Amino acid sequence: MNVTVFGATGVVGRALVPLLGKHELTAVSRTARDEPGARWVVADAASGDGVGAALEGADVVYYLVHSLGAGDFEEQDRIAAETVAREAASAGVRQIVYLGGLGADGPDASPHLRSRRETGQRLASAGVPVTTLRAAMIIGKGSAAFETILGLVKRLPVMVTPSWVSTPTQPIALDDVTQYLAGVCANEAAYGEGYDTGGPEVMTYRQMIERIAALLGRKPAIVEVPILTPYLSSLWLNLVTPVNASVARPLIEGLRNPTIAREERIRKLLPLELTPFDEAARRALA
Amino acid sequence: MTGWETSERVLESGGFESRQRVLVAEPVVEASEAGARTLGVTYWQAVDRFTRGGIRASWTGGGGKLKLLGGATLLTFGPPELSFEGGLVSCRHAIQGGLLALRAGGSVSLAQRPEGDQQELSVTVEEYLPRLAARAGAPPWTGMLYAKVQSPFHAAVSRRYFELLLRSRNA
Repeated sequence: MNVTVFGATGVVGRALVPLLGKHELTAVSRTARDEPGARWVVADAASGDGVGAALEGADVVYYLVHSLGAGDFEEQDRIAAETVAREAASAGVRQIVYLGGLGADGPDASPHLRSRRETGQRLASAGVPVTTLRAAMIIGKGSAAFETILGLVKRLPVMVTPSWVSTPTQPIALDDVTQYLAGVCANEAAYGEGYDTGGPEVMTYRQMIERIAALLGRKPAIVEVPILTPYLSSLWLNLVTPVNASVARPLIEGLRNPTIAREERIRKLLPLELTPFDEAARRALA
Repeated sequence: MTGWETSERVLESGGFESRQRVLVAEPVVEASEAGARTLGVTYWQAVDRFTRGGIRASWTGGGGKLKLLGGATLLTFGPPELSFEGGLVSCRHAIQGGLLALRAGGSVSLAQRPEGDQQELSVTVEEYLPRLAARAGAPPWTGMLYAKVQSPFHAAVSRRYFELLLRSRNA
């Protein structure tokens, strides 16, 4: 099976590539690379450069690309998804696997979540069956959301937090989400399907902060205030964490809405012992 | 969404029972832990939306608090008790206290169950002792705040909850 991974240098892509070792693997990056385990090609989904060549002979395509951090990330994501969908159809690709965002859609969904949903729709627009896995925060080293929480815990003994810290979420370990991603590869039962993926525990962001702090031997005081806009929150995060405000803001806007799995079909398709939150966080902190 | 009904009665124990329900053609949530949890999470989301963030649920490992403007605790709840057996999918929270409870006791249950060839979605508050309701033997006007504010508010939130559930299923 020939598999092409867009976004192979990202946090999820790097963890996924070794799990696809039994396939003929093409890893796509925007800059030239030569690392073991895959044939590396240069392509840019947003501009379309090299995309056709990267998809030549591909049976399955992983789409792990996003433009978070760009001012017009919604437009860029839309264009990139359409380009890959079109080229995948031309190349005779049998399946596109996409990692989207967890959370109910609707008029009050954040721009980031709306963009994730629209990306999935655009990927399906040229007729190649798309398998969508939806995840909330991914607990792994380098994950922007996890690094944001970690930055807060490490730098602030007292946190003044907006009310989103009380929103429930269902984080998933990087190892688990990549196993799910690898498990749906060429799995015909998953063609055209969407699955919610969540870890074994539902918690609030406040609980998550407290548990990560406990793993680090810290006990921050958390003061929740009802009024703190996403814009102000992102500027503040930019000051105290390593995460850029342009990345933090779309993420924060999405934190007002619960991000929990609404269904568990993936657990029947791919039975997997899910990693407890503390263990996932320990691995990310190592 | 059809079959909207709302009812309220005082039980022999003195506790209040309030129930709202609608009928829908298809199940809104899956019969699983995730489905049961979705019923609960969506209800608290409906409270938030209906009050435009004025009243929000705040959760810890031991349960939740319904807070007014991030300050006063209106009600406190136990952790969700999830059930998904025999067609019934439900999420129940015990009421543990708060400004709007005379004392700990009672529960709020969010459920989906088969009703003929349809599905019933319901919100049921049982054995709740509202602080704002008239006490036994007291003049009726002492319960005006409950009758004219809290009770209609609760029914309106339930309606919003049903709408949110349906909207999220259709998304």
